[in-house]
Amino acid sequence: MAIPELIVDRITTPGVLAAKLLLPWGSATDGVGQRGAHQLLAATLSRGCGPYDHRQLADLVEGRGAGLRSDANEDGLLISLRCTSEDAQELMPLLDWMVTAPHLATEQLELERSLSVQALQRQREDPFQLAIDQWRRLVYGATGYGHDPLGVIDDLQQLDEGALQALAAQLTSGHSVLALSGTWPSSLDDTLLNRTGEGWHNTGEAPPPPPVHWMHGAEGDLIMQSIDTEQVVMMLGQPCCPHGHPDDLALRLLQCHLGSGMSSLLFRRLREDHGVAYDVGAHHPARAGASPFVLHASSSAERAELSLSLLHQSWQELRNQPLSEDDLTLARAKFRGQIAHGRQTSAQRAERAAHRRSLGLSDDHDHHCLERIESLQAPQLMEAARRWLQRPHLSLCGPAGALKGLERRWDQLQSSAATGSS
Amino acid sequence: MELCHAVLTTSLPVPVLDHWTLPNGVRCVAAEMPEAPLTCLDLWCRAGSFTEVAGEEGMAHFLEHMVFKGSDRLEAGAFDRAIEALGGSSNAATGFDDVHFHVLIPPTQSKQALELLMDLVLHPALEQEPFCLEREVVLEEIAQYADQPDEQVLQQLLKQGCPDHPYGRPILGERSSLLAMDPEAMRRFHRRRYRGQNCCIAISGPKARELRATIESSALADLPSDAHPTAEPTGLKLLPGRHSIELPRLESARLLMLWSGPPAHDQAWVMGADLATSLLGEGRRSRLVARLREELRIAENVDMDLSVLEQGCLMTLEISCEPKDLEQVEATVHEQLEQAAPFSAAELMRGRQLVGNGLRYALESVGQVAAQAASQTLWDRPQELLQPLQHLQTWSEDRLSTELMPLLRPDRACSLIATPARRR
Repeated sequence: MAIPELIVDRITTPGVLAAKLLLPWGSATDGVGQRGAHQLLAATLSRGCGPYDHRQLADLVEGRGAGLRSDANEDGLLISLRCTSEDAQELMPLLDWMVTAPHLATEQLELERSLSVQALQRQREDPFQLAIDQWRRLVYGATGYGHDPLGVIDDLQQLDEGALQALAAQLTSGHSVLALSGTWPSSLDDTLLNRTGEGWHNTGEAPPPPPVHWMHGAEGDLIMQSIDTEQVVMMLGQPCCPHGHPDDLALRLLQCHLGSGMSSLLFRRLREDHGVAYDVGAHHPARAGASPFVLHASSSAERAELSLSLLHQSWQELRNQPLSEDDLTLARAKFRGQIAHGRQTSAQRAERAAHRRSLGLSDDHDHHCLERIESLQAPQLMEAARRWLQRPHLSLCGPAGALKGLERRWDQLQSSAATGSS
Repeated sequence: MELCHAVLTTSLPVPVLDHWTLPNGVRCVAAEMPEAPLTCLDLWCRAGSFTEVAGEEGMAHFLEHMVFKGSDRLEAGAFDRAIEALGGSSNAATGFDDVHFHVLIPPTQSKQALELLMDLVLHPALEQEPFCLEREVVLEEIAQYADQPDEQVLQQLLKQGCPDHPYGRPILGERSSLLAMDPEAMRRFHRRRYRGQNCCIAISGPKARELRATIESSALADLPSDAHPTAEPTGLKLLPGRHSIELPRLESARLLMLWSGPPAHDQAWVMGADLATSLLGEGRRSRLVARLREELRIAENVDMDLSVLEQGCLMTLEISCEPKDLEQVEATVHEQLEQAAPFSAAELMRGRQLVGNGLRYALESVGQVAAQAASQTLWDRPQELLQPLQHLQTWSEDRLSTELMPLLRPDRACSLIATPARRR
């Protein structure tokens, strides 16, 4: 049966239950010319299902003071419910109905389409969003992880209803996971244990494998956009291995070293030593395919060249010199801290549990990682960096005058790196 | 059964608060949360941007940055490194009324982290060279916000609505005011504001109460008390009006409206306002979302917020839409606020559930529990975490119509219309 795998995590809360239903149909599976289709579908699922039309559904959920969302991320379509334990029995069936019996009424679909298009327009106000969007396009191209899950305006406007109906029909197939965490009401025992799987299909149909390929510089390693801002936003990075890959843990420790907290390398180097940026960090989301590993900063136009040099230096050091024992110990502590920070609420716990299972990782994967980091040494981290972080790609958004100088600086930095000079 | 009554009478595992005061006036509150994976230490001080005097604009926030540059005992960066080496994290935030510094830490390390935090915040080094360098970082922060049209629009609204009040000024300050500051002026600000009666420490997590002895022997207990606490002015008067701006990087139009209400100590009113903003702007069945986005389909986003502030609460409505729909959006908002039918019993029930459950969900994390407990205790409102729900019961459909909705009339608002500037 394709009935979702069930994970139950009974913990003490102030009477709260969180449920996460994760389906293996994310924006990476958007077809050619259909970028944004899964997010549009996800949004429309919450606009009528089973016995409830869009108004009745909103009345039910909001009337219970609950939260119900449905969103596509890169690797999956996630339906999230948070409610009080006493309302869980009444609300839990909604998750099933949203997938097996969505209404997808035309007028609701058109409303969501219009909202998605306008949200995409509004996103363009944010220089960070512009920079990461064009970085994605540069390295991943037109499919897979190459676009924001919200999509692309032209594609959204062209999407026909039939295509979305076909995508909706697929949702009941493939490996899905339902994770629940919180104060468990006994009334849910029967509801969940007696699930029949009605409406779920074991068709053998499964989503395409996650994207592991990227452009390898076919389009060059630099992309720029001129905008009328005070600062230049810089994103420097490369796709690397999937979450759970044998090298993943080494890269996560490097991400902790570079960008986690105020003692991180980027924070110290760009903020404390040079005062050239406020917001700095290392972005490395856990993806089923080639996960981005991106360093980012934003600096005023006149100081952006120094920031870029410092980002590039930090990147090169990962490959060329092992972390000191102190830095490695600190990175391990941050990793342990990240795991603890991500287990604070029932929603966090349920989402992580569903995510692990959807990636084929064991339920005690995080625990094993905590054990493994103790034996990972600096040379192994450097070897992982050499395997995965050899071709950084740069995205810049900022005033035109600054971009010209930054382009020259980038060429110099890349040439120096290639010849091994500093 | 209605939510508020249900929540208040059932035996939910809601953290019970333990309040006490140090001899120098420091308020303390502990919330026992035995199963939490982390402990939160949250030090609050009545030292927000409201407390700045002429020439200090932006100093409260700048000081928040400078605190992390080291203390008399800790070198710059030593605190962050020590906390993060223990598996914790730290951060801080400056608001109009107050500033707070918080640490999330594994429970076994909380005593050590508490001592470090006290030293850092209460004895900042404020040396010249780090001062100049960190000022550059704050200027970058200001530049970053200036590049976000959303931030510009909101700041402009506050400036127009509260022109003669500190709430109308940017918390980050202006470039010119920052460039005129020096460490000595910051030391004076710190001495003036970081005093016993102005501070509150909240601890939430496993064995939170066991830290009481540590607090009582910490630098917090050595803070001078204020023999003659300065009387703080009250009374926020919002200036109604309608303004418009064009912004070059705006992609959609915005309608913003701002209203003021009684100050935070009027907790009954705060809960009524929370209820009203939920009924008007939270969820698809709220009045404004239902009308503007779901029925007329002329708005992309409708967001209504209540900021609970000590000098007078602020309510904001922000709507994004296509420029061509702006006129109709504004007319519809006015119609909804001026001629609205009284809320029905079903709407009231829905609103109570949303507000009540919002409080309940917040009890899951130590950070939210500490922040909620401290923000009330700091301002002389020690109370249990779900206590505000009792006020919800007092707001009937009639009372909302007669006492609260008139405050949200369009003619009492400061409105701002923001449109994309024409591109050349």
